[in-house]
Amino acid sequence: MKWRKWNRWIHRELGYLFFGMSIIYGISGIALNHGVARHWNPGIISHSESYNYNHSLTKDNVSRQVIEEILQITGEEKSFKQYYFPYPDDLMIYLKGGHINVHLPTGEISVTKVRNRPVFNEVNYLHYNKPKQLWTWFSDLFALGLVLLAISGLFLVRGKKGITGRGGITTLLGIIIPLIFLAIYLWF
Amino acid sequence: MQRLIVWVLFAMLIGSCSQSGKKEGTTTEASQTEQVVKATIQELLAQPADYNGKEVAVSGMVTHVCKHGGQKCFVVADDGETQIRIVPAGDIDEFKIDLEGSTVAFKGTFKVLNPVEAEEHVADHDSKEHHDSEMAHTEAEKADYFIEAVDFKELTQ
Repeated sequence: MKWRKWNRWIHRELGYLFFGMSIIYGISGIALNHGVARHWNPGIISHSESYNYNHSLTKDNVSRQVIEEILQITGEEKSFKQYYFPYPDDLMIYLKGGHINVHLPTGEISVTKVRNRPVFNEVNYLHYNKPKQLWTWFSDLFALGLVLLAISGLFLVRGKKGITGRGGITTLLGIIIPLIFLAIYLWF
Repeated sequence: MQRLIVWVLFAMLIGSCSQSGKKEGTTTEASQTEQVVKATIQELLAQPADYNGKEVAVSGMVTHVCKHGGQKCFVVADDGETQIRIVPAGDIDEFKIDLEGSTVAFKGTFKVLNPVEAEEHVADHDSKEHHDSEMAHTEAEKADYFIEAVDFKELTQ
């Protein structure tokens, strides 16, 4: 039948057109899933290093000279921003791209450097629709394309493996699974 | 049938787009007619009811930016202890982590939650695994007051 030919054409062309978008939204979807669940942070990479000041300090004897010594020990002389005391025994020195934590009584220094996670930072930027404007329309088009891909995909194959056979059961399964989660976590 | 479904979805999409556009317009108009009150963080917190719902401008050093999406940051007052929670609104999508340690001037609406909202806010905060350890900004994070920032400018970097 002629409509099947058109159906295959739509499915094939949308599949090619939205291949890149599917990969972008697929990768960022996994990242955001685990970001929301707080398993890891998809947006940034942070790593810490430890040093020691070798002297005990108190809030009162932290001067600009002490700050400079700490920056020298950690090799962060050029990244200094500001400092403050989150607690009486703790000094926080802010850096460009991180911070230094100093536990004053022990002189323990912890340097945390933070930077954007490559690839994920970019794909999440698009997934969250940060560019707005034209990107909104293109991603809407992609969303509509996904709906068309899903619908046209149902009618690609005829017979036992098609929508009237095993394919129909698999399709139902794919609808029932999210409904079960909604029933468990939202509705009841 | 398939065509009908596609057209219904398309119509819903267009409808939702035009509605969100109207909401944005209203917000902008409302903010333009308000007068901005310059205040220190201590002044806001001394009389929160007086400032509730008002457009305010505050500045201070950003001590922490939420690493999970930048949906809040904290600014410390001149006393080095009192902190206030700032959440993004208007055209601000998120606060970048680079703001930590910078002195920033914020403009936005000071808000005080009602008792029911405040209770829900604390329960929501306590339910999150990453909030199990007490931080210097925890009190401000759980507080019933905050600023919904619509604009900000880094004064020092």
